[in-house]
Amino acid sequence: MSERVQRALAVFERSLDRRLLTALEVCARCGICAESCHVFAAEPDFRHAPAAKAEAVRRFYRRLHDPIGRWFPWWVGAKDLTEADLEELAEIAFGACTLCRRCTMNCPMGVDTALIMRAARAMLTAAGKAPEMLMQLADAAIAREENLEFFREFYINQIRDLERELQEQTGDPDARIPVEKAGAEILYVALSGAHTILPAAILFHAVGANWTLSMFEAANYGYFLADIQRARAIAQRIVNEARRLGVKEIILAECGHAYTVLRWEAPNWFEDFPFRVRSIIEAAAEWIQQGRLPLDPSANPEPVTYHDSCNLGRNGGLLEEPRIILRAVVQDFREMTPNRAENFCCGGGAGLVAVPEWYEKRMRAGRRKVEQIRQTGARVVVASCDNCRLQLGDLSEYYGLGVRVSGLMDLVVNAYLAAHRRHVPAPVAPVRVPAGEPF
Amino acid sequence: MSTTALWGWIVLIALGLGIGGLGWRLYGLLARPYRPDRAPPRGPAWRGVVYAFTWGMMPWAKESTRRHLLPYLRGVLFHLGIFATLATLAISPWRLSLPASIAPAGLVLTGIGAAGGLIGIMMRIFDERLRALSHPDDYAAVALVTVWQAAGMAFWADPRWTGAFYALSALTLIAIPLTKIRHCLYFFFSRFFFGLFYGRRAVLG
Repeated sequence: MSERVQRALAVFERSLDRRLLTALEVCARCGICAESCHVFAAEPDFRHAPAAKAEAVRRFYRRLHDPIGRWFPWWVGAKDLTEADLEELAEIAFGACTLCRRCTMNCPMGVDTALIMRAARAMLTAAGKAPEMLMQLADAAIAREENLEFFREFYINQIRDLERELQEQTGDPDARIPVEKAGAEILYVALSGAHTILPAAILFHAVGANWTLSMFEAANYGYFLADIQRARAIAQRIVNEARRLGVKEIILAECGHAYTVLRWEAPNWFEDFPFRVRSIIEAAAEWIQQGRLPLDPSANPEPVTYHDSCNLGRNGGLLEEPRIILRAVVQDFREMTPNRAENFCCGGGAGLVAVPEWYEKRMRAGRRKVEQIRQTGARVVVASCDNCRLQLGDLSEYYGLGVRVSGLMDLVVNAYLAAHRRHVPAPVAPVRVPAGEPF
Repeated sequence: MSTTALWGWIVLIALGLGIGGLGWRLYGLLARPYRPDRAPPRGPAWRGVVYAFTWGMMPWAKESTRRHLLPYLRGVLFHLGIFATLATLAISPWRLSLPASIAPAGLVLTGIGAAGGLIGIMMRIFDERLRALSHPDDYAAVALVTVWQAAGMAFWADPRWTGAFYALSALTLIAIPLTKIRHCLYFFFSRFFFGLFYGRRAVLG
């Protein structure tokens, strides 16, 4: 047994808790999960069926933990894990499964295939078989935190440029994008790039929120690697920042896996949070329901459809909030079929969009999503996850869909600014909070 | 001691072995760490768990069963037959003193179960996808349970099949913890974790 295999198995054994063991044991191999998987739906090769993917883990699990697997391995398809198996497992766990759990929803047993694939990813990362790009992105994020002073000035200068744009958009020369503001109530964690900072800044300004922008980005490639140490290190900097600034809540940019990490996973890695964690989708829906945002839906006249991102929707619970927002900010909203918890994955999740050599693979995996979009006749596809937006944009180009891909907050800002410029008052006037000392 | 009584004792020993084997499996599962989810829930977990065991099992609840209603019904009838055959085993010592209506009902239920099992075997043999997923244990497990149900049907048709029914019952009971049939234990945990996960996220339930 090679050292790589030993490392992989050591991680597997540490992962083997009750939930994982149940998922490994309960499969009846009925095959009904197959058609629920977007990868299988696009390419009906039995190896793409979730049960077949999970079998790549089950066969060595049985070899190690099932008496029949130890004495009569051929009877139950058990085998020893080898280096060649690790290669195959990497293609499956990282390249053929986006951890979307659509199969789990459709399984009579409720087999958590995503949990099995995550265990496989953890093994592969430990064995050095994870995609290089994901490793580099995770390590770059950790390095940034370790060299924060080096990046700080550059980051703040970029924020100053955005601030000027904020002032121009809102018509308020005092509008600010605060950074490291002690006493702020909200710590907003954006993604890399202005596209998730400016829209949020406009909305925070609109509702008079007492907020500050995080020095860090919400993306967590350690999570894609299923490397808890890396994922924890990346999340820790945000948690520490929130504690240090004494905020009451963290609001996350539109990002699926970032929401999963900080909302659902991180509370299991750290001491109890003295703040709550929400997505900006939840916050925006709340503001709209509270009447704090004047909105003009004629600013978004094109037919719009909504892609329920797996991490936010099916596995995060944010199924109605996006619809509350869309009904308020667009004129023609059209549901995909299926939608909500039954929606199909875009095919680019769990890090696939970040791995260049898997472009063709994810284009094939996105076929079912393309059909869904086409059926709506929409001109705009809204997705609240950055990875989904990248994938949907690539799918539109690849299949000639001719749709524009938009974030949800972009449409909210369109509707808000249209109303704001027409001096339409908000049903509830904002209470302006000082932005704090300029940095 | 008569042959039937001897078989009866063998079945009881097999039952002990089967329960012991399942108990060992359960012990192995409970010995594993359980990491409760400490993230603040969006919804009550209990609702998800209740859903997972009730409405979540209905054919309209899942796209897979909506699209494949006949296989769903086959599975339901197969498992109904299993329960009917277990009940047959339990009441078999008193067969001759049971009300006359029990035998036809037992015959029909075990027979339907056996038919469901036979269709399942055929599907596994002739469906390329299922064949690719299957190991010898998969074929053997469903074949054993099907034949056992057929023996239950035969038992109701003619008491002379009692020996064969008990023999197959003993074999099936011993096989439970050793074969795929043991998913009957893990099923409850799987649905519980499923309900817990989606209940806390207010997605289901």
